[in-house]
Amino acid sequence: MERVLAIEAEGLEKRYPGRLGRPGPQALRGVDLRVPAGAAFGLIGPNGAGKTTFVKALLGVVHPSAGRIRLLGGDPLDPKVRARVGYLPERLELSRAWTPLEVLGSVARFKRLGLGRAQLLSRLEEVGVAGEATRAVGGFSKGMRQRVGLATALLGDPELLVLDEPTDGLDPLGRVEVRTLLQRALARGATLLLNSHLLAETERVCGRFGVLVAGRVVREGPLEALVTGGASWRVRFAPGAPAAALQAAGFTTGDGGALRLAGGLAALNAALDAARAAGALVSEVAAEGQDLEAVLAAAVEGQP
Amino acid sequence: MNSLAVALDLLREARSRRWVLALALGTTGLLLLVAFGLELQVVDGALAASRFLGGRAFGDIRPADVALRPLFAGVAYAVFYGGVVVGVLVCADFAPAALAPGRIEQLLALPLRRAELLLGTYLGVLLLLGGGALYGGAGLTLIIFAKTGLFGWAPAGAALLAVAGFGAVYAVMLLSAVAVRSAALSGAAGGVAAVAFVVAGQRTELAPLFAAGWGRSLFLALSAPLPRLTGLADHAGRLAEGRPAELGLLGAQLGGAALFSAAVLALAVTLFDRKDF
Repeated sequence: MERVLAIEAEGLEKRYPGRLGRPGPQALRGVDLRVPAGAAFGLIGPNGAGKTTFVKALLGVVHPSAGRIRLLGGDPLDPKVRARVGYLPERLELSRAWTPLEVLGSVARFKRLGLGRAQLLSRLEEVGVAGEATRAVGGFSKGMRQRVGLATALLGDPELLVLDEPTDGLDPLGRVEVRTLLQRALARGATLLLNSHLLAETERVCGRFGVLVAGRVVREGPLEALVTGGASWRVRFAPGAPAAALQAAGFTTGDGGALRLAGGLAALNAALDAARAAGALVSEVAAEGQDLEAVLAAAVEGQP
Repeated sequence: MNSLAVALDLLREARSRRWVLALALGTTGLLLLVAFGLELQVVDGALAASRFLGGRAFGDIRPADVALRPLFAGVAYAVFYGGVVVGVLVCADFAPAALAPGRIEQLLALPLRRAELLLGTYLGVLLLLGGGALYGGAGLTLIIFAKTGLFGWAPAGAALLAVAGFGAVYAVMLLSAVAVRSAALSGAAGGVAAVAFVVAGQRTELAPLFAAGWGRSLFLALSAPLPRLTGLADHAGRLAEGRPAELGLLGAQLGGAALFSAAVLALAVTLFDRKDF
């Protein structure tokens, strides 16, 4: 059976127009990306990598210079396709005089959801702003506005959620709430495209990642597949551990007084057994280079 | 349908704009001033006495409908040109606000076409201005009716003609906002357009000011496609004074304004469709 794709980009390029008809900066240089339906996909990359341009191109906000995009199997410029998508832009600007209820009501009308006040209120309840439902958003903090924006993105239980920095401006508890909402959306079968600078947050929600650097997807896949350099471990021993025995067990000098060991779990346990047999006491063991930060750093540096 | 939803959203937003509130309060204040400050005594269909804020207003005893013609005409011109000027001031910010970064992305990601968004904004502004002008015009009609028993649709007609004239002005403002997102520039474009449309309305009279030859030909050629704002205003005044309307000329002027608006809007939609945000 053919795998259904929620997002399909082929050879996507975007060069912005420059002044006086000259070519401007090229934000995307042939992006190929496929996100299966139901996946939670994290798009990461350094500033200026083209992540926001890619997200905008997906929704027809930016016109690609070349390439092809399919969204939920259709043309992103087709309003029927966009009706199945929930979107939160990076810098959300809401009409200051509107209340959260009015903001949601407007989106619900455009999506022809036919939701009443009670249903809109329950959506606001989910993002924690039901208590402020009739207050103008102009007086809201950035985090509160972000919650309203998130409620609009989630309205109508869209099949695809495209969120650009959704936890921007939220406190730690707010981030947990957003994570719960996203996990709930994923549980009902929605696809998530998450673009965030907060790598730890992205890592907690997403199962697949794409690393965009200088307008190209340089890495793509599940996290464990992206860590191509092999596992390594940072180990600390209590003072007095025999240095020669540790060296013989395979430990090398690491950063900040810790030792480093290359290899998988079996190699780690064997080395620890050897060290303990020589009288060394283990005080700390941590995995190294197996998080998104390391993946991103390696991708930016052009490492394999 | 989507355009109507955009227009209604714009009206919702307008409630909170200070300029719009000032316009509503100002119009209400003027209506109250007329309601309480204007005294009209009509006896057997003749205006026997009239006072405005204590001073004599309409002169000798005359048939009331004749005596009040200058009032109706003045109101018609005031509603027409006032509507256009106020429209430029009040509505300059709507399109730039909708095109603001962070807002336009969210709007464009909704299931509506770009043309619907732009035309909805246009429709919303015309509804807003039309509502305001009708409020003022109809309010005045009712006040005069209550004081004299004379009923005339003139101010309301002038309001509708003002909306038609402003429609062409706002099309230019919208095009300007799409090209460069700036409320100041949009307002300035509206002001220049309104002046140009007034000049176009007087092009025959003004042409002799240009030396015969290419200068005059250029002026006539450039002003030819522009709506005749003064022509529409004169029709409003003519209606207000109870004179018969020159329907052929009025139709041509309204058609010209509609055609010009449609052409400018088509240009704005084309530009908007190609733009990245």
